[in-house]
Amino acid sequence: MGSSSEKQQPPELLLQLAQQLSPTKDIVQTTLHVDGMAAHLLYLKSAVDSIVLQKTIIQPFFQVTSLDDYASYLNSDPNQTEMADEQTVLVDLTKGNVLVAVEHRFFLLEVRKVGFNEVQQITLEPTIHGAQLGLSESLETSLNVIRQRYHKPSLIFDTMQLKDQSNRSIALVYDKITVNPRALQLIKKRLDNLDFPLILSSGDLQLYLNGTKKSLFPACLLTERPDRLVYNISAGKIIIIVDGSPHAVIAPVVFFDFMVSMEDLYHGYWISILTIILRYAGLLACVILPALYVGITSYTPDVFRTELALTVAASRIGVPYPSFMEVFFMLLFIEFLTEASIRLPSPISATATTVGGLILGTAAVEAALTSNIMIIVVSLVAVSTFVIPINELGFAVRGLRFILLIYTTFFGLAGLAIGLLGIVLFLANKESFGESYLKFGWRKRKKEFRTGEG
Amino acid sequence: MEAASRIKLVVLSILLLCSSILSACAFKDIDRRLFVSVIGIDPAEKIENGFKVTLKIAIPFGAIKQSSRPTFAYLSEEGETVGEAIRMLETHVDKVLELGHMKTIVINEELLKDDLEEFMNFFVRRGDVQMIAYVTAARPSAETILKVEPNTEAPASISFFNFFGETGTESPFIVTTYLFEFRRDYFAKGIDPVLPIMETNKDHTELIVNKSLVIGKKGKTLELDSIMTKYYNSLVHKASGFSYKIQQDGLHLLLNLDVVKMHYKILSEGERPSKIVMHIMKSGVVGESNKPLSPKKLSEYDKLAEDAMTKKVRHLLLYLQEENLDPFGFGLRYRASKLHSADPYKAWEEAYPEIDFDIIMKVELKSTGVTE
Repeated sequence: MGSSSEKQQPPELLLQLAQQLSPTKDIVQTTLHVDGMAAHLLYLKSAVDSIVLQKTIIQPFFQVTSLDDYASYLNSDPNQTEMADEQTVLVDLTKGNVLVAVEHRFFLLEVRKVGFNEVQQITLEPTIHGAQLGLSESLETSLNVIRQRYHKPSLIFDTMQLKDQSNRSIALVYDKITVNPRALQLIKKRLDNLDFPLILSSGDLQLYLNGTKKSLFPACLLTERPDRLVYNISAGKIIIIVDGSPHAVIAPVVFFDFMVSMEDLYHGYWISILTIILRYAGLLACVILPALYVGITSYTPDVFRTELALTVAASRIGVPYPSFMEVFFMLLFIEFLTEASIRLPSPISATATTVGGLILGTAAVEAALTSNIMIIVVSLVAVSTFVIPINELGFAVRGLRFILLIYTTFFGLAGLAIGLLGIVLFLANKESFGESYLKFGWRKRKKEFRTGEG
Repeated sequence: MEAASRIKLVVLSILLLCSSILSACAFKDIDRRLFVSVIGIDPAEKIENGFKVTLKIAIPFGAIKQSSRPTFAYLSEEGETVGEAIRMLETHVDKVLELGHMKTIVINEELLKDDLEEFMNFFVRRGDVQMIAYVTAARPSAETILKVEPNTEAPASISFFNFFGETGTESPFIVTTYLFEFRRDYFAKGIDPVLPIMETNKDHTELIVNKSLVIGKKGKTLELDSIMTKYYNSLVHKASGFSYKIQQDGLHLLLNLDVVKMHYKILSEGERPSKIVMHIMKSGVVGESNKPLSPKKLSEYDKLAEDAMTKKVRHLLLYLQEENLDPFGFGLRYRASKLHSADPYKAWEEAYPEIDFDIIMKVELKSTGVTE
């Protein structure tokens, strides 16, 4: 049978594609044949789940009686991917698709193997009550997590592919009834115009979506909490999930979103009010305190109570540098400590904090390099930074206090007031996907879920 | 081009940062300041019509917890005016004199008999002196009083502040007068300011404040003794802790009257104020007794107290009237309640020396002080 031997030959396209993928060693180009029937497979072993491949593509081949049956079997596979031009097929192959050639028909079937599809423990914003498991590094699993918590036909998953070198999939998730259409349009436009060679995770995607290149304050919220996601979806916000990143981006956001912990919803009214007050007090303390120390000790000691003024003056005896240098160095020192303890594995970081915080702090006071009031201020600042529930704002605030410190160093308490005013003006001027950043959301929770305007 | 401008920017910002290390004279840390806590003013010994200014400076030092006593430094200088003396004192110390925490002004009793405006003006004009500073008269001299370091004074606390404004002790014997109040009353027609008198004991280990001085216009002063101070203070400032002792028929009762309310009316006969009707309500409990008491007889004790205290108040009012002094501010009230064009103060000035007082005292004892 001349035609039979022809059938044994893989089609030209397959060979071409294989050629383009080589010399990678995980390429598999194989031919299944039985009773004169032949099918050609092309896939990348590292991207494909071989058990599923065996079950869904290879085994049926030996069970069907004709190639037509096999072709229609493949054709009706729900995992089939639309075939476009050659380049797209290549990318699809790298994603874990299998190209099957039956006679002259081609089928692109998705048999992805994702080794990291477990749902992860929440580490960034843990709460006592509420969800304990977050998203997954696999997009499908993450979407599954959301879908399983929000059973509503209006929930939309809009997947697309990043136009960078990694060709990763991302998904826009929103509720089409409540979504803010203006923001959705804007996000889609920005995603289309995204022009970065390589996007690694939702963290940097979020920055690129920001609109402005350099920004101290985050314009999107990064979270790993599914309950936060569901809360925000139902309130009309848009979620962006990048494949391979266990964090989701929420947009648009206002400043006050960063000060909300999901725990607030799980506590009683007064308790959550108290914790919210506590949190804002912490925010204020960690922004203002260092500058306030400089302003009061060096410009207007009259603000203190007399006893405190004397105590502060006493504790500064022998400190060689002016107060702002002292504050600056101690803040720097605390930043080192925080930075070091974040990057280190947790058993070592405990040691680092102890050595750095306790021993160095005490020694610095003993050596009269800094006053002990300063140590109190700095530790208070460090602790209250961690009161802010969302990390990104915490980082922004860490930068902010240096700005205020500089203002106060030059202009005293008036400078502090002007600096604060400047920050408020800046925030009021800022936008996150068409929403004013300092917008107050004084609404009842019930009402919040009903409107589309986030 | 862009790289060059970027380098320029970096260099500029580094220079700016470096310049912040070179803090010049404007930047004064708290340890370069001396906190003046009390100012004393005496008549000068060497300069005619001059003043001797004494500063009590609280010295901060390292281990406050370990030290048993606060440390103070004293600076004295004479000058023709207070400001001049302080300017000279600035050359006696290596640090900035900071008056922001100066909360008590102690004035020699003798100085109060002269024109006050000359030296009080300094405190009102100087920006860092707070108008809520306490003003007090000193006996025998401001310097002596300033140099008293009471045994009860704790480190990093200044006992001069705790006496007044009910910050520390609360007693009806202690009159509190703030700088703003003193100045206002001094210049107002129809009210005379009252200053507490600060004294010390023989060993100079205690400060004693239980008398007061009424400062009239034109250098007229009148001392109120402890009892009169107590009545004045409890009536005008509603000072708490008022107690009164009744002695009758071998019965000794000490009443603790914690609520004292007073209001008065000025009655006129035509254009002329003729009578001041003063209603006083006091309530409290029996604090001490030498005999068992019956709750049924409380109204009897009320009556006893009423009669006795009415006499005391009348005595105080007549004493002040005799000297033509008016710390209660009756005149001010009268002026405020009449039209300005009628010149009520003139009428008041004429009428006050002969005005009648009608005192209606009501004492309400709530209990005998013991539970039966």
